[in-house]
Amino acid sequence: MTPVLPVAIVVAVVTVVVTAVVTRYFSDRRFSVVSKWLGQRLEVDLPPPASGPEAAIAVIDRRLRAIEGGADLARAQVVRLQGALDGLDQAVLVIDGEGPVIDRNRAAEPFIEARHADALVGAAVAELVDAALQSGGATRTLELFGPPRRTVVVSTAPMPTEGGQVVVAVVEDITELRHLESVRTDFVANVSHELRTPVGAMSLLAETLQDAEDPEVVARLTGRIQAEAMRVSATIEDLLELSRLEGEASTEVATIFAADLITEAVDRIRPAADLAQCQLVIDGGPEGLALEGDHRQLLSALTNLVDNAVKYSDPGQSVEVVASASPGMVVLSVTDHGIGIPARDIDRVFERFYRVDQARSRTTGGTGLGLSIVRNVVTNHDGRVEIDSRLGEGSTFRLFFPQVRRVEDGSRGTQQ
Amino acid sequence: MPEQRKSFHQELDEIRDDIVRLGALVSEFIPRGTEVLLSNDMKGAQALIEADDELDALSLRIEEQCYHVLALQQPMASDLRAIVTAVWLTGELERSGDLMVNVAKGARRIYGVTLDPRLRGLIERMSEESARLVKLALDAYSERNASLGVAIDDIDDALDALHGDYIEAIFESHATHDIGLQASVQLALIGRYYERIGDHAVNIGQRVQYMVTGWLPEQTGAARLKARALFETTEHEAIGFTPVVVASSEDEADS
Repeated sequence: MTPVLPVAIVVAVVTVVVTAVVTRYFSDRRFSVVSKWLGQRLEVDLPPPASGPEAAIAVIDRRLRAIEGGADLARAQVVRLQGALDGLDQAVLVIDGEGPVIDRNRAAEPFIEARHADALVGAAVAELVDAALQSGGATRTLELFGPPRRTVVVSTAPMPTEGGQVVVAVVEDITELRHLESVRTDFVANVSHELRTPVGAMSLLAETLQDAEDPEVVARLTGRIQAEAMRVSATIEDLLELSRLEGEASTEVATIFAADLITEAVDRIRPAADLAQCQLVIDGGPEGLALEGDHRQLLSALTNLVDNAVKYSDPGQSVEVVASASPGMVVLSVTDHGIGIPARDIDRVFERFYRVDQARSRTTGGTGLGLSIVRNVVTNHDGRVEIDSRLGEGSTFRLFFPQVRRVEDGSRGTQQ
Repeated sequence: MPEQRKSFHQELDEIRDDIVRLGALVSEFIPRGTEVLLSNDMKGAQALIEADDELDALSLRIEEQCYHVLALQQPMASDLRAIVTAVWLTGELERSGDLMVNVAKGARRIYGVTLDPRLRGLIERMSEESARLVKLALDAYSERNASLGVAIDDIDDALDALHGDYIEAIFESHATHDIGLQASVQLALIGRYYERIGDHAVNIGQRVQYMVTGWLPEQTGAARLKARALFETTEHEAIGFTPVVVASSEDEADS
C-alpha cells in the first residue's frame, strides 16, 4: 500500500491550517487599517483591533448618533432662519456672483421668472448684483406704474462666504411709506389753508365794512362774513366729528334697518337735490335687511355720500341709493352719473381735506372732510368701503357692513 | 457637444427673459404716458421721451443676440421659430414704446387745454385696455399659450370700441367749443396711438401662435390663393380650354 492517501490528507490539513492563519493575519491587518481610517474620519478613538469588531462598532454607532443629532440641530436652525426670513415683508435674495439665486425668502418669489413690472424689479436686482461686486453696494429706487402703482427700493451688498463672494439683495416696497408721507405733508398744508382762508377773508371783509356806509354794501359784506363764518364753523364741526370717530368705536349699538337708514339720509338731502334738479332713486333692498351700529354715525356717513353724489351731478341726472345683501354683508351703494374721479386720485379721496379738483370744490362747498368721516364710520363698524368710478361717467361708493340676522319684521323693512 | 447645446438653450432663455423685460418696459410706459398726458406733466413727458432710449437699446441688444444665435447655432424647427418670433416681437414692442413717446409729445402739443371729464375718462380706459392687451400678449408669450395669443385679436375689439366712443366724444367736445380744432386733431391722433398699441399686441399674439404651432393667419389667405389658381386650371381643362398663361400665385398677389 502506497502512502499516497495519508500524505494527501496531511498536505490538505497543512494547506487548510496555513490558509486559515494567513487569512486571519490579513483580515486582522485589514480590520486595523479600516478602523484606523474610520477613527480618523469620524474623529474618534476606536478600541484596539484586539478587542474585536463589536467594541469598535459600538463606538462608531455612538459617534454617528452624535453626528446625526448635530445635523438635526443644523437642519432645525436652517428651518428657523428660513421661517424668520419668510416672515419679512422685504424680499431677500442671496445671489451667486455668477448669476443664479442661491437662496430667497417668500417675499422674493414674485421676482423669480417674473413678468410685467416684477420683471423690471428682477432686472434691477441682476444689474445691482454686478454693481455690488464692483463697488461694494448699490441702491436704486424704481417707480412702477403698474397698476397698482408702486415705489420699490432695491439694494444690494456683497457678502463674503467660504465658497466665494455672494451678494445679498433686498427689495422693499415703500409705496405705503411714501403715501403716508404725502398724506402728512398735504394735511398740514390743507388744514392751514382751509382754516386760514375764511378767517383771512372775514378780517378783510370786516375792515371794508368799517368804512362802508351804503346799506346795500353793508348788507352784502355782512352776508359774506356770515357765509365765511359758517364755512369755518362747518370745518371745525367736521374736524371735531372726525376726532370723535377716530377716538372711539361706536358706543350706542342698535339694530338699524337699511331701508330706514336710506330713507332718512335721502330725506335730509332732498331739498338740495331738488335745488340741483337731481333725481334721487332709492331702493331699500330685501325686507328686513338690517345692520348693527351707531345710528347717528351711519346716518352721517350715508348722508355725506348722497350729498357728494348730488353735488357732483349735473342737472337732470339721477342719483341711486340702494341697499342690497351680499353673503354676510349689507351693501349700501350710492351711484351718481356725474364727473367721476380720476383713477390716480381714487386711493386718496378718503384723506382729510384731499380735493381732486381745488377749483371745483370752491363752488360746490363742503369741508373736504366728508369722505374721511365716511371711512372712519365704516372702520368703526368693521365694514369696508369700495369706490368704482370713471371720469365723465360717474361714481359708485359701496359701504359693506356685517349683516345682522334677518329680523322678521316686514312692516319696517319695506321696499321704498 | 452637449456643453454647446446647453449654452445654446441658455442663450434662448436669455433672449426670452429680455423680451419679457422689454414688454414690461412697454406696459409700464402706457400708464406712465397717460399720467403725463392727463396731468399736463411736461417734466414727465421729457423723462418718458428720454426713457425710450433704454427701450431702444434693449431691443437692439435682443435683435443682435438673435442674429448671433442664428448665425452661430443654426437652430432648427421650434428653436428657429422662437428666434424668428423674438426678432418680430422686438419690433412690435419697440414700436409700441414709440407710440407712447408720441402720446407724450402730443401732451406737449396740447399743453394747457382743459379736457372734459368724459374725454379724460375715455383716455384712462383706452390706456388701461391697451396696457392689458400688451400684458396678455406677453403672458401668451411667456406661457407659450397659442390659444391666448389668438384670442387677443378678439379681446382687442373692446379697445376698438372705446376708440370709436373717444372719437365721438372729441367731436362733441369740439362742437360745444370746449376744445379747438388743433387740440381735437391732436387728441384724435393720441387715441389712434393707443388703438395701434392694441394692434401691435394682436400681432404679438399671432406671432406667439406661430412660435408654438408654426402657423400664421396669413397662411389661410395664401392657401386660398393657391386653391383658386388650381381650381381655375382644372376648370379650364374640364371645358377643353387651356389658357396660354396660368396666373402664378406671385402674379395674383401683386395684382
